[in-house]
Amino acid sequence: MILEAKNLNYYYQDGESRRYILKDTSVSFEQGKFYTILGQSGSGKTTLLSLLSAMDKPHSGEVLFHEKNLIEIGYDSYRKNKIGIIFQNYNLIPTFTAVENVLIAMSITENDIPKDQKTVAYNLLDYIGISQEKANRTVNKLSGGEQQRVAIARALSTNVELILADEPTGNLDEEMEQEIIDIFKKLAHEHNKCVIMVTHSNDIALQSDEVLYLKKGVLNKHE
Amino acid sequence: MSFFKRGLLSITRRPGKSIILLAVLFILGNVIAGAISITQATSNVESTIKDRLGSAATIELDYEQLDKMEESELMNFEMQPLKLDLIEEIGQLSYVKYYDFNTMLYLGSKEVNAYYGEDTEVDFAVEENEEYISTDFQFKGINYAPVVDFEEGKGKLVDGRVFTEDEIKNGTPVAIISSKIAELNSVHVGDTISFINSVYSFNEETGEESVDNSREVPIEIIGIFEPQKVNTDTENNEEFNWMDIDYQNTVYVSNELVAAETKHSMGEMAGEYEEYYVPIFVLKQPEDAQAFEEEVNPLLPELYVVRHASDAYDSIAKPIESMSTLSKYVLIVSIATTILIIGLVVLLFLRDRKHELGIYLSLGESRGKVIGQIMTEVLIVSIIGMTLSLFTGNLLAQSVSDKMIESNNEQTTDEMFYYSELQTDLTTDDVLAAYEVNLSTEFILLFYGVGIATILLSTLIPLIYIMRLNPKKIMM
Repeated sequence: MILEAKNLNYYYQDGESRRYILKDTSVSFEQGKFYTILGQSGSGKTTLLSLLSAMDKPHSGEVLFHEKNLIEIGYDSYRKNKIGIIFQNYNLIPTFTAVENVLIAMSITENDIPKDQKTVAYNLLDYIGISQEKANRTVNKLSGGEQQRVAIARALSTNVELILADEPTGNLDEEMEQEIIDIFKKLAHEHNKCVIMVTHSNDIALQSDEVLYLKKGVLNKHE
Repeated sequence: MSFFKRGLLSITRRPGKSIILLAVLFILGNVIAGAISITQATSNVESTIKDRLGSAATIELDYEQLDKMEESELMNFEMQPLKLDLIEEIGQLSYVKYYDFNTMLYLGSKEVNAYYGEDTEVDFAVEENEEYISTDFQFKGINYAPVVDFEEGKGKLVDGRVFTEDEIKNGTPVAIISSKIAELNSVHVGDTISFINSVYSFNEETGEESVDNSREVPIEIIGIFEPQKVNTDTENNEEFNWMDIDYQNTVYVSNELVAAETKHSMGEMAGEYEEYYVPIFVLKQPEDAQAFEEEVNPLLPELYVVRHASDAYDSIAKPIESMSTLSKYVLIVSIATTILIIGLVVLLFLRDRKHELGIYLSLGESRGKVIGQIMTEVLIVSIIGMTLSLFTGNLLAQSVSDKMIESNNEQTTDEMFYYSELQTDLTTDDVLAAYEVNLSTEFILLFYGVGIATILLSTLIPLIYIMRLNPKKIMM
């Protein structure tokens, strides 16, 4: 088991009462699998992903990575060395080029990265479908699909086992969406990564190895 | 890609914002540089002038307090002379480098001409009625054989020697005279010159004064001194011209000799002679003035006060003083304004870049390095802006202070003081001449220190405000 969430609670305080987004949510994930978390808007999918990616802290409960609590690992260290995150709106730094965005992640991680980082970054972008010419453009001069590819390359560049993606195809057309899903399947099945993707699309969910359905803060396995 | 390199790239990739920040820093830098320049120039003037005024102190009657006293109070007030024991006790304090106490007597001479200034040709010394001798020579009795005035640079021995301890103790009739008197009367070291000490009596019926008894005071010249003029511009300043004349006509002798001649000049009243000394204490360093005063004040008789040579600074430095006060306020206000403006500008820029900071954190970058990147960006732009404003601010300060000095000086007149042992010939003009706005190393370091600290503080506050949040909240 690569990642496990135990009894996660997350709520918003509304005067005296609490509005629960996640209530006693427990779930576990294995390496080499492509997971999707399905749910309607406001169901708590993004909140769950932000807790699994240590972007936020639960009010109670714990997240374990290889059976080690994230608090023990350190939230910064966990994000830096253990996971790659892909956002719906890409979250690339607009003043930097595509290759520079990848290089930034490579310079932050403490994982083993080949010395010639620039070559690795270009190769990775090429593998994802970004040519060297495009890699040298500032990211705001790339299309949405291209930007998301750069974001995927950035997530892979740190040589991590776990990829977390928050509706990464939300802004893309169908053709591009399928290409991204294919990449994720490939990462899980050929590179033994664990890919957890939040989506509201049943079509995408059907392509994953396992679907988790989140409704009113409670997570169930979708059969 | 290190956070430093990211910072550098951010500056060049956002030229518009970098130029706006540079312009704001340049303008504020000018105000800070100008204020520091003026503050430092005024502080330099203070130390230069106070150095020139020296570290001497004396004890004298508090004339200001006396002026304030009612007539009836004055009538009942019995002035106590400073006792020699007390002077010696104070002289032993650890702050004192050396000390002296002086008595004065004015004598005339039939054979020695006094000095009346360069342009005065009339010989006033011997009047038609030979009975009356103009007492132009100030006999300054001293106890400190090497002569305090020479040690402190008021005069310089140019020929002969100073006194011996025996000459001082025994009241040997030897003296040191000025080079002007020596030159005017063609006398040299080893010559003996004679002065007249007359006893006058007053006829109450006729209201006339007559000489009762006169005696010659022959004195051997053992040394010749030259006044060390500080103030060279005496043409427009009669007061200092008279001070110069007075000093040229000073004859240094021992206190014992002055006491003996004073007693003689008192005639029948000689029995009532009471020693009256004006002490002078030269302190080891000017900074000891306050501590010395605090220790001495409780020992003094009523209405006596400690006066320092540096006290004159406050009176002669009025044009500078108002500038010094103003520049200090400007500096404080400009630092506060800079913190506020830079803080707001940085906050405004950070609003645009808040999302970017969240991205770095989501990638696992430490908060310290993210803060470091923004600091690097602001600091690089700041250093460029500050370096430019260092020169322009200095020029600005020069031109502003010239105008202020001009305007303040027009409203200032040199005050007259009570004559005291510490009388100075330094004037407001000397103070203004010492005022100089320049780019000293101390100024440059102070400017960068104050500037960088201000900018760091104003950047750090909004940064910490943002960085305390978790990445999700920052990116929301």
